[in-house]
This record gives sequence, C-alpha cells and structure tokens, in this order.
Amino acid sequence: MASYTLKVRRYQPEAEEDGRRGAYWETFDVELDPTLSVLDGLLQARDGSDGTLSVRCSCRAAICGSCGMKINGQSTLACKTRIGEAAAEAARISGADASGPLISPPAEKELADGDGAPGPGTESAGNEPIVIEPMGNQPVIKDLVTDMESTHWKKFRRVTPWLLPSGPPPEREHIVPPESMVDVTQSVACIQCGACVSACLSMEADPEFIGPAALAKAYRFVGDPRDGQTTERLYDLANDPHGIYDCTHCFACVDVCPKGVAPMNQIMRLRRLAGHDHDIHDVNNGRNHELGFVKIIERKGTLDESLLLQESYAPGVKGKLLPRAASIKGLLQSIPTAIRGIRTGKMRSLPKLIPGVHPKLPGDAQDHVKAIYDRAEESRIQLNLYVIGEGGEEDQAAEAVEPESVSEEPSAT
Amino acid sequence: MPEHDVLVIGAGLAGQRAALAAAERGVSVGIISKVHPIRSHSNAAQGGINAALAVDDTWESHAFDTVKGSDYLGDQDAIEVMCREAPDELLHLEHIGVTFHRNEKGELGTRAFGGASKARTYYVADITGQAIMHTLYEQLMKYADQIDRYEEWFTTDLAIDDEGHCVGAITRNILDGSTELFRAKSVILASGGNGQIWHPTTNALICTGDGIAMAYRAGATLMDMEMIQYHPTTLAGKGFLITEGARGEGAHLLNAKGERFMETYAPNKMELASRDVVSRAEQTEINEGRGFPDGTVALDITVVPRKRIQEALREIVLVGRDFAGVDITREPIHIKPGNHYTMGGVKTDVWGRTNVPGLYAAGEVACVSVHGGNRLGANSLLDTLIFGRRSGEDGADHAKGRGQGSVPRSALADAEAAVEEIIGRAHDGGRRVSEIKAELGATMDGKVAVFRDEEGIQSALDAVRRLKEEAAGAAIDDRGSVFNQDVLGAIELQNMLEQAEAVCMAALERKESRGAQYRTDYPERNDEEWLKHIDVSRNGGEPEISYSPVTITDWQPEERTY
Amino acid sequence: MKLAYWPGCVSRGFTTELHGSMALTAEALGIELVTLDRANCCGAGVIAEHNQELADTLNARTFALAQQTGLSMMNICSTCQGAQSECQERLDADAAYRAHINESLSGEGLEYRKDADGFTNKNFLWLLVEDYGLDELAGKVKRPLSGLRVGPFYGCYVLRPKTRLGYDEHPDRDLYLERVIEVLGGEIVDYDGARRCCGFPVITMNRETSLRQTGTHVGDALDAGADCLVTPCPLCHLNLDMQQPEAAKVVGRDLGLAVLHLPQLVGLALGFEPGQLGMPKHIASTVAVEDRIAALA
Repeated sequence: MASYTLKVRRYQPEAEEDGRRGAYWETFDVELDPTLSVLDGLLQARDGSDGTLSVRCSCRAAICGSCGMKINGQSTLACKTRIGEAAAEAARISGADASGPLISPPAEKELADGDGAPGPGTESAGNEPIVIEPMGNQPVIKDLVTDMESTHWKKFRRVTPWLLPSGPPPEREHIVPPESMVDVTQSVACIQCGACVSACLSMEADPEFIGPAALAKAYRFVGDPRDGQTTERLYDLANDPHGIYDCTHCFACVDVCPKGVAPMNQIMRLRRLAGHDHDIHDVNNGRNHELGFVKIIERKGTLDESLLLQESYAPGVKGKLLPRAASIKGLLQSIPTAIRGIRTGKMRSLPKLIPGVHPKLPGDAQDHVKAIYDRAEESRIQLNLYVIGEGGEEDQAAEAVEPESVSEEPSAT
Repeated sequence: MPEHDVLVIGAGLAGQRAALAAAERGVSVGIISKVHPIRSHSNAAQGGINAALAVDDTWESHAFDTVKGSDYLGDQDAIEVMCREAPDELLHLEHIGVTFHRNEKGELGTRAFGGASKARTYYVADITGQAIMHTLYEQLMKYADQIDRYEEWFTTDLAIDDEGHCVGAITRNILDGSTELFRAKSVILASGGNGQIWHPTTNALICTGDGIAMAYRAGATLMDMEMIQYHPTTLAGKGFLITEGARGEGAHLLNAKGERFMETYAPNKMELASRDVVSRAEQTEINEGRGFPDGTVALDITVVPRKRIQEALREIVLVGRDFAGVDITREPIHIKPGNHYTMGGVKTDVWGRTNVPGLYAAGEVACVSVHGGNRLGANSLLDTLIFGRRSGEDGADHAKGRGQGSVPRSALADAEAAVEEIIGRAHDGGRRVSEIKAELGATMDGKVAVFRDEEGIQSALDAVRRLKEEAAGAAIDDRGSVFNQDVLGAIELQNMLEQAEAVCMAALERKESRGAQYRTDYPERNDEEWLKHIDVSRNGGEPEISYSPVTITDWQPEERTY
Repeated sequence: MKLAYWPGCVSRGFTTELHGSMALTAEALGIELVTLDRANCCGAGVIAEHNQELADTLNARTFALAQQTGLSMMNICSTCQGAQSECQERLDADAAYRAHINESLSGEGLEYRKDADGFTNKNFLWLLVEDYGLDELAGKVKRPLSGLRVGPFYGCYVLRPKTRLGYDEHPDRDLYLERVIEVLGGEIVDYDGARRCCGFPVITMNRETSLRQTGTHVGDALDAGADCLVTPCPLCHLNLDMQQPEAAKVVGRDLGLAVLHLPQLVGLALGFEPGQLGMPKHIASTVAVEDRIAALA
C-alpha cells in the first residue's frame, strides 16, 4: 500500500457554490497498492468520499473502452495505467514543467483552483500529484465524462461503418487469405475509447477532421477483401478536405492507443491505397504531393523543395500547361513565402527558386538510387509488424529455448 | 413518450442481435442501454463461439457435449435448437463482416475448447466477443432508420398493465436525469449477468443483473439461480479473465510443485475438462496446500509456440503484462477460479418468452436452460446470438397486429418518486453503498462459490437479508440530475441484493452436487431427487421456491468423467 | 567524438543556415563529422506512404553508408530521425526481409547489418545529452544565454511513438531540450506547443489546418513571454519560421517570434555571433534575440 494524490480537473454542471462553477481542480488522497490502476484510485475516491465524482468505467481490464482520460497529460485508459507508474511519471515531468502535463490542454490556464485544492505548481514535495483530466477535443459533460457523440460517433457513422459485400453471400463462408483477416483485425481491435481522438493534434486545429479512430474503422473495411466498395470508399476519404489528407502525421494516436491499433498507420495505408493502388487524384493534392516527392528523389536523391511545390500543385508538363484553378490558387498562396525568402537571403541564390537546378548526388550514387527504385517499385513488399509480430526475430530465436519451469516464487499477481 | 413495436433493454450481443432480427421483420425497434452499446460486457468474451460447422462435425455431437457439460441439468430441447442453428448463425456473422480466423486454405478455422469432443470453436484472436459485438453495432448503424438507439439510459423498472402484461419500461436518461415511459408491444430483456454480486469477478462493473431483478419484481420466474460458474483461470485479486483459449492452444495447469495436476482429476481431457471440474481441481490443490502462497496455481502458456501466442492470444499477453506484470510468453502466470457467469436467470422457452406475457429474455439475463449446471466455454456467445435472434423474431411477430397496451398512470410517477427518495436520503452515519456492496461481494465469494455447505450458504443468506435492509436506507452524495452515477449505484445494489437472496435460497435448496453447485455436505449427484430445476418467484413480495422438470430428449443421465 | 553525419535535404535546401551553424558548432564542440554525401533522402514518411519497401531500402542504404565508415550516425532533423527509425524497426524485425532489402543494396557493395557494433542513429539533440554529455557541454559555454527566454519545440518525430524511438532505454528524451536550454544558461519558457505538431506535413494538402497549428504554437509561446523558439527539426522550422507571416493571417493576430535551429542556440552560447550562424536568413525577425545577445557581451 502507498499513498497517492490525485489532482482531478472537475466540472459539475449543476454546481451552485462559487468555486465549483466552471472547471476547477480538486485533490483526493488515496491509498492503494502501486500495481493497482489509476481507475482504482478514482473509484476509491468516489466510493469512499465523494459520490459526485463522475467517471465512465466498466470492465477495468482495457476492453470496454469507457475510462479514457488524460493522466499526466497523456490520453489513456485509467484502468490500464498503474497508479505507481503514474506517480513516477508525475514526478519525472514535474522537474521540467511547472504545470505538470507535457501536453496540457489549452483550457488549463483559465482554470480556477477549487477550495483547498492546490493549483499547478504548488503541490507538496515528495508526493507529486497525478494530474487527471477529461479527454481532449471533446466537450466535457461532467468531471471526467465527455461528449463522444458529437466528436467521435458522428464521424464513426460518417465512414459508412459496415461491410458492403460485392454480391449475395456465398453458401458457406467467404474464402479469403488468412493474413488479410489478421491484418484488419488490428483495426477491429479498436475499442472506441477515444484516447486517439483526445490526443489528435490535427483535430485540435480542425475539429471537423474525421479523426484517427473513425479512419482506422474505415481501413477495417477498405482492407477487407470481402468489401465491394473499396474504390468508392477511398475516393470519398481522399477527396474529403477533412479526410485522410488532413492527418498531420504526428503519431499522437499511435502513441496513446491502448490496443496497438496504430490509427495513423491505417491512415497512411489508406493514402497508399488511394494514391498508388487506385490512382485517385484528390482535390487535396495528396496524390500529387506524394508523386511529386517520390519522383524528385528518384531523379535527384535528395529533396528539391521548389520542385516539390510545383509538382504538388501543378504536376508534370500537363499540369503546367493546363493548371487547374486549385493548382493556381495553391501556387499563388506560396508566392508571398517565396518572396520573403528571397528578401532575407534564405533563398539568396536564385537557382533555389528554379526547379530542376537542385544538385544530384555525387558520382554514380544517383544511379544506385534509381536501381533501388526499379526493384522496390516492382516488388512493393509491405512488411506488417502486426501480422508478423513486433520483435518477430527475437521470437523465432526464443522458440528454440526450453520453456522455463515454474518458479517457486509467486509471480506478481 | 417513446413508442416502439419492440423494445430491447440491453445492447450487448443478445440485445443487438434481437434488435436486428426484429428490424428485419419490419417492425419498429428501440434499444436501450445503460452504457454505450460498444461498452457492453459481451466484449469480454475472448475465446470464441462454438458451432458444428465442419464437415466432419455434427450438431448432435455438439449437443451431447453441452448436455454432458451441463451435468444433465440443461433442457435438451433447447440445447438441440441452439446446436442445430449454430452453423447458420456463424455463417451469418461471417457474411456481415466478422473477421474470423482462417486456416491456410482461407476457410474458417477452429481451436479446441473445454468439454468439447471436437475443435469447433471459431474465433477472432482472443477478442471474439468484441469483434462480433462491434460488427453487430455496425449493423445497427446500417439499420438506423428502423432501430432507435437510447445510449446511456438506465431502465429502472418494467411497465406492467392491469392484466399482468409487459407493455414497456421506465427509463432514466443518464445524461440529464429525465425519466421516460417507453411503450412497446414486446419487451426483450438482454441486460446481462450479475457477476458483481461476487467479488472478485471477471465481470464488468455494469454486470449487476438489473434485468433479472426487474423481471423478478414484475412476476417473472427465475431458474437455476444457484448455478454460478467459477472460471478456472482468473487473476487473483482483480479477477481478470485469462481465456480458456489458452488451454485450448495447449497451455498447462501446474501446482506449486510443478505437477500437471489435472492428470489426477481428468486423465483424458486434462486441462480441457469442463470448467466446473477444472475449477474444483484447482481449488482442491490450493486447499490441500499444493498451491502457491498467494492462493493460486499456475497457468503455463510458455508451452504454446510464441508465434501462435502472438497470433491467437494477443489480448491476454496484454492482460498479463498490464494487470499482472507478467510476460506470459516467458513465464507461467498465477491464476485461480473466479466468479464468471450465471447459468441461471429469467426462465424462458426456446423463443425467449417468459411467463410474463409480452416479456422476453435472452442472453445471460435468461435461463432457457441450455447451460444447466455448467456452461461450456464458447457456448455463451452462441446462446446470446441464437436466443437473441429468436426473441427478436418472436417479439416482432407478437407485436404485429397488436395495439400498444395501456400503462397505469401512476407507473411513471412511482418510479420517479423511488429514485427521488434515494437522492433525498439524509446521511445518518450509516455505511456507504460501496461498503455494503463490498460486504456482499466478499460474503458471496466466501460462501457461495466453488465449494459450498449448508452452514455457509445459510450465513450468506442471513447476511444478504441484513444488507437488504441496510441498503434500503443508504444515503448517497450526488443530488444532481446530470450523469448522477451515485443514484444508479444505489439502485444496482438493491437489484443485486434481491438476486443474491434468490441465489442463496436455491443453493440451500439443492441438496446434492451437480455442475457448479458442489455441496461438501452432499458431495454426490442425486438424479432421483434433484434432476429438476429450482425456480424462484415472488408473489406479493416474498420469494418462493418451486420446481420444474428437466426436458430430456435423447440423452439419459450418465456418470460424468473427462 | 567522430560521427557519420547525415545532414538531410532541407538543411542544404531551404535552411542552409542550419547546415552552416551545425558545422561551426560541431567544430567548436570538438565533434568530427564525416558527411554522408552519397546518402539519400529519408522519404519523410511520404515515400513510405507511397511504397514501404522503397522507403525501407533507401534508408537501409543510408545506414549502410554510415556503417561503412565504422561510425555511429548523427542526423539534425527530427523528421529524418522518425522516418529512419520507422524503417529501421522493420529492417530489424525480420531477417528474410532484411536479406531482400540488402540484395537491392548489393550492386553498390553495401549491406545494412542489424546491431552492427553498437551502431546508432541519433538526432543531434539526443547525441548531445546522451553521448556528448551536458557537463561537457556546460564546460564549453562561453556566453551563458542569461535572460534569453527560449521555448522548446521538439517536432513530433523525436517524441512519438515512444516504443519505436528508444524511450524504454532513454525515458527522458522528451525533456532534453529543456535540459540543453538550461545548460546553455537560457530560461525555459513553458507554453502549450512544445510537444505539439507544427503542421508542416499537411501544408500543401490542408493549408488552413497546417497554418493554424503553427500560428497557435507561436502565439502561445509569445503569450508566455518567449524571445524565441528552438527546434531540432528544420521542417518544423519551415512552418514555424518561413510560414509564420501566413500563419499570422490564419490565426488573426500579430506574431513575430524568432525560431532558432538547435545548433544556432548552442552556437550562440559557444560565442558565435548571430550573423555567423545565419540568423539573418530567417523570415521571422531574430532582432530581439540579437539584442539580448548583444546586451550579454
């Protein structure tokens, strides 16, 4: 048993007392075994002293997806976060950042401190409070309970989340490659807890972004060989301004997902399928940007940014001769930035602005890069770490080792 | 006042399947759940779903295994229905998108499970329940025009008309605390089991058996309530589940001396004997001093090839790592029998009909009875789907051509007043709801568990009756309307105590050992006197015991060995 | 200390001041850099989005070139770090796959070897803290940056995902910028954007989302009283600095905050002048920083 302090960001919509109106901080002292969870700590506080403390929870085993919240700034499941480790993390980050969480919600600075609740930076030494907040990117209903309907479920429904088979069902089961089922099971493993939605940095900037969980759900159908609407789904997701090309590739969702779904990886696979496999030229310039980038490296080995801008907005000779309105707009928008660059000398040498003047790799290096392209574009192997298992090689090595016999010491259960 | 032809209460597998089946018959459907449907406890079913689908398998073989597993208490007509319809149901799931494991030919592949004479368990890694339930939820989206969802609405009571017909339900919107009377021509209870009566349990916090309690109050008969399954492999302390699929994949059970003790108890099936048998074996090892000091034995998954673990037991690798700090691919994990499932529940026929007209029940809330004294692993998902679908179909047919019933005017006001009474209780120094619940859980786990005797059960019953009185006056903290979980907790406690009383009474009544009920004072099965169901019902308030016959078709009771 | 050095594309394209300042700083620190001038672009995640095998092979080639020198590798770009670590994870996971990739490199006489003699690929920031050492760095500081208020900006690719980026072994990698600022004598500015995304990856696809991110973070840092930001990622720099005037329009407020490359900040503390470090080439005015430095002299 050990003592912990939970610093909870609370909101009681019906509060009448001053200091309890709007969001406020309140601390709870709890005592429990370090291997128990932050959820156990919250339930101890709720059951033992304050029944108004609201938190969704059910299974306690990271399967129902109810208890998504931010703990020390990190979006996660409270049931899956050991309280001892959360306290250690609180102590680790407090040294660097007086307000606690490494990624704190923008709203935090406006919060008033509740009665007797120490505010940021004033906690007692030795027992750094575990900072607990409701999930981000979602309106708060009460305490740690957020509104996922308007921020997630609506978008979940947006991706037509059911199988659209290509024909009438077969007499028995569909015959499909075994790996294909394992592959989409990575997305099926999503428990819709909203941790990725909470952490999504694109959604902070664009609340209409379909978001990591819903797009992972979309991949679950696109990647399913039984679905008959693959092209239509991809076309839709690629052309939505808040779709697959609205993801800023920040890995926040990958980092917080408690189930290893890696939503961003699924989004990138949707891009690969939409772009390369289905050659969908979207209105967001996603395909053009990808192709431009890939071609430049093939020709030059390193990136020529000026060329990339042109290729993204107005690809190829045809793009330059017959530019679309959107291409012209995109290029025009980039002109002020370029002019500023010339003025400061950032692009002091004019050649920097002339696509195609960027140097090639020395000697025969570029030929070898080209050879790599030729082979890789031919074979296009996609190693899926989810299917083969991460650290797959280590696994194979361990196969040979005899399993250990039962130890006399009890495991930490 | 919301009105539907069919109203489903509970949105796990049984409830969603019922709603979809009813919608396919063209009626309007409402589905209510106290949590978002995706949070329902069907999620937690890891191992798989049984069906005799393979060409060399037969539904009769599946049925016999189930009958034997039930220790001959299961009703064989119902078991036949379930096993015969299983293959089509499984194919239906595959057709709507469940990502079942495939063999190398791309066909559906199976794994072995306890008590089964063939490997007939179909699965999605070890998240089978989640995978199926999410797929059904997708179908709810597809049928959104016909199915209205009420997510996070807490049903407090059924609405019964003057003739005793069920004509709707009274439900509190958790979001704002408002109460609605839902009218419906058929009401299907699919609100799950009651594992929270025990502590620890593998069951989620929401598994408080609310549906069993409200049906019981409304005059429905409960059956087989004494039959409580203790799962052989749960983590000590927290009660988390380690799937039977682990043993299906070849994992061993070892005592502290490193002996595969199942050799003594079930020399043929070993770790894959039925759950009651394995749990008793473990508890015997522990009681006789061959367990570990923490009151456990060990499950050794390291004998399963690592690649296979990675593919088929992914979730329990996480459970071991996150909740026990054990890498199950490298070392054995300590486990013990833990509360897992109630075979009993609201008594129904094979169409889910209860003795209350208009009221159906399906899934763990119900007792058809296909599980009898002991449920086989991977038969629960099947039960929810088969009888969920049948309830939905029959509920829809029942609703067609009927008008809405009339609900006594006072019903809504009475229900609201009951909730307000709880919210308004003053703190008078009495114990908190959580403390009463904790005592209930410890008492039931101590006295009404793997091994039972008259003295223990009687003391549990006395405690439950005392706690019932105490709970009736327990005060809460939250006086608000918005997301008042405090008041829901108090209602759930009342529900659990009512069921606990019925469980204790039935366990006390059955003076023999059968399936999950092992009486140390009556250690033998006694078919002469006890090959019958124990029913509990409430007439005018006090619980009464009665009996009903077990339906036997093809399989006469035999000695049960594994 | 001697390292194989992958400068990346952008430090020799739009942000030549990064390349220049790194060279000066390395020399002053006594770090010898062997530039991998035959190496190729990391793909920045975009090539992986197009063809995973292609990205993996291109980066295997860069690793192989570095391994040929017998030295560990340093990069100066968070994005290179992230894209290269992602490929390396796949290369290391499966021997058959690695063999397949190495076949593509064999024409050039190259081979990527897993776990070759403690081979590592680290961003300058990680190297500074983990290998060079903060004590050693402190000893080299000639002009402590007293009073200079610096907001750290990491860039996503050295932060996430933790499982891939060595956080098991080095759990404090998300605090290194603060530590470096402290050792250089600067004042750490605590603001919301430090570990958020600059928005660069979607600048051509969703300009609004991209610039809103940049504008918000720069604004927050200004509100927190920063004199400048410092970043180990030139792509973040492109958005935070070069696009700053455009971002200001999107967020509807005046901005104007200098954004320094990490080697520039280190260079200032080592005694180099802003002009030597290429700061006048920045779009967002560095005058406030220059004034502070001048006052220190």
